[in-house]
Amino acid sequence: MSVLELSGVSKRFGGLQALSEISLSVKPGEVLGLIGPNGAGKSTLVSCITGVLRIDGGTIRFADSDIQRLPPHRRARRGIARTFQKVRLADQLTVYENVAAGLASRWFAHAGGWSLVFRRLSSASVARAVNRTLERVGLIDVSGLSVKSLPFGRRHFVEIARAIVSEPKLLLLDEPATGLTESERERLARLVKDIAAGGCAQILIEHDLELVGRLCHRVTVINQGHHVFTGTPAEAQTDPEVVRAYLGMNQLIGGGADDAHR
Amino acid sequence: MSRRVLLFVAIGALAALPLTVGTFWINMVITALIFSLAVFSINLLTGFTGLLSFGQAGFVGIGAYTLGVLAKQGTPPLLAGLCGVVLAMLCGFLLGLPAARLKGHYLAIGTLGFGILIYQLLTNSVGLTRGPMGLIGIPTGGIDKQTWYLAMLAICLTMLAVLVYIDRFSTLGVILKMVRHDEIAAQASGINIFAVKLIAFTVSAGFAGLSGALFAAYVRFLTPDLFSEQESFRYMMMAVVGGIGSPLGGFAASLILTMIPEGLRALGEDNYRLLVYGTMVLFVLWFLPSGIGGLIERQRK
Repeated sequence: MSVLELSGVSKRFGGLQALSEISLSVKPGEVLGLIGPNGAGKSTLVSCITGVLRIDGGTIRFADSDIQRLPPHRRARRGIARTFQKVRLADQLTVYENVAAGLASRWFAHAGGWSLVFRRLSSASVARAVNRTLERVGLIDVSGLSVKSLPFGRRHFVEIARAIVSEPKLLLLDEPATGLTESERERLARLVKDIAAGGCAQILIEHDLELVGRLCHRVTVINQGHHVFTGTPAEAQTDPEVVRAYLGMNQLIGGGADDAHR
Repeated sequence: MSRRVLLFVAIGALAALPLTVGTFWINMVITALIFSLAVFSINLLTGFTGLLSFGQAGFVGIGAYTLGVLAKQGTPPLLAGLCGVVLAMLCGFLLGLPAARLKGHYLAIGTLGFGILIYQLLTNSVGLTRGPMGLIGIPTGGIDKQTWYLAMLAICLTMLAVLVYIDRFSTLGVILKMVRHDEIAAQASGINIFAVKLIAFTVSAGFAGLSGALFAAYVRFLTPDLFSEQESFRYMMMAVVGGIGSPLGGFAASLILTMIPEGLRALGEDNYRLLVYGTMVLFVLWFLPSGIGGLIERQRK
């Protein structure tokens, strides 16, 4: 049984058909790779799932209910968490405070959530969840430091911690490996497997195909807003459509460079 | 530990102030304390939540005139003051409905427009407010300055403590600051940014309304000029000098910036003192871009 199910999702920006009839599904504990060349519509798809963008056609079902009319914060409260391609954290606040903010989706998931907001930031229930998550992502030693004092790679992990502290049902990772060192990349891989083992469904957008091949149970390839392929990573490497999508991209880059020389 | 001692010494010194200085200065400090509540309203709205408002004097005016008009018609002052705060909050809520959708310059201009609207309303509703002739003789006399001073000190320190708690220790502080830093990320964390902004507008208006009601009760004489947009700018300046997100800095700034112009009267009655005053403010912002609050923060670390 899938936790997230998209069928025939379309999105148009004026004259540009950004997504046409995309269908995909993710099961609890599954890691779905979402790949495609730049401008394929991956980030648009994430925005449609999280509710930042409204879709023009199709349906989005999450945990057995239609969510396409819900605003982003309500989808987050239902259990959809995400990280961002360009890290979005409150730089002046501490790591602990940033991660605690992620708990909001759990507090407000119940009626009367507002009564919880006067609790101390260091109260037992908050501290337990935050510290456990910080330990899980390997940031417990920098809990009290401000985010801006952290190296770039570790900020990615703060974002992941903020996303998983509320124990979401679905986690969307938008290019989490960008700018990570080799050891951080390994830590990320372990973390993704650990999150999957906990039963959380994940969609991983990533350009690092080695990482995608290693972590994802299935991959979905999209190109120019169209669904190209869904299957195992091994199948993807030999699929002619996928090869063409990526080859096309290479040719495009080559052509652009030639234009520049002329 | 030593910080706690310092805190008690500071509160003790403030409480003992009436014993050492004359009526003129006590008067000044009471007014400054009343202003500090309006500065707190900016700390909450702009400092914590990131919503720029140049219309706070409008809410102060609503609080003040509600108390003034009702008390003159025989309503008990305490009840009239409560009505002032509630009416200010209602207006804050109503302003918030459109304003919470605005950002940056648009929000600043929208709130400025609200402030001017209230000012014009107070000026032109002559039947109710007596307009530019002023509302005279608000029946809230009979309390001596010592009592006023101690009561104001108690109110302001309580509010200050509440705001510092929210800012540094509560989960609410983190929610507000997430909205200020990054609305997209806040939404993705399940925060309803529209609701948060609406509540921030409402509560902030309540602080400003309380400031106005207390002003009316203390001074007992109101004119619309006391609530013009110039006053909004003055509150904003106090908040900025204090460090926009620091209620403690805002408290200090409202005391200092109310008293310096009076102290500078020693330079003579002409407008040179305003020149000196303006230069001082510029220097503070030049050398302390995050205000007095930034200085306190640096000492803390």
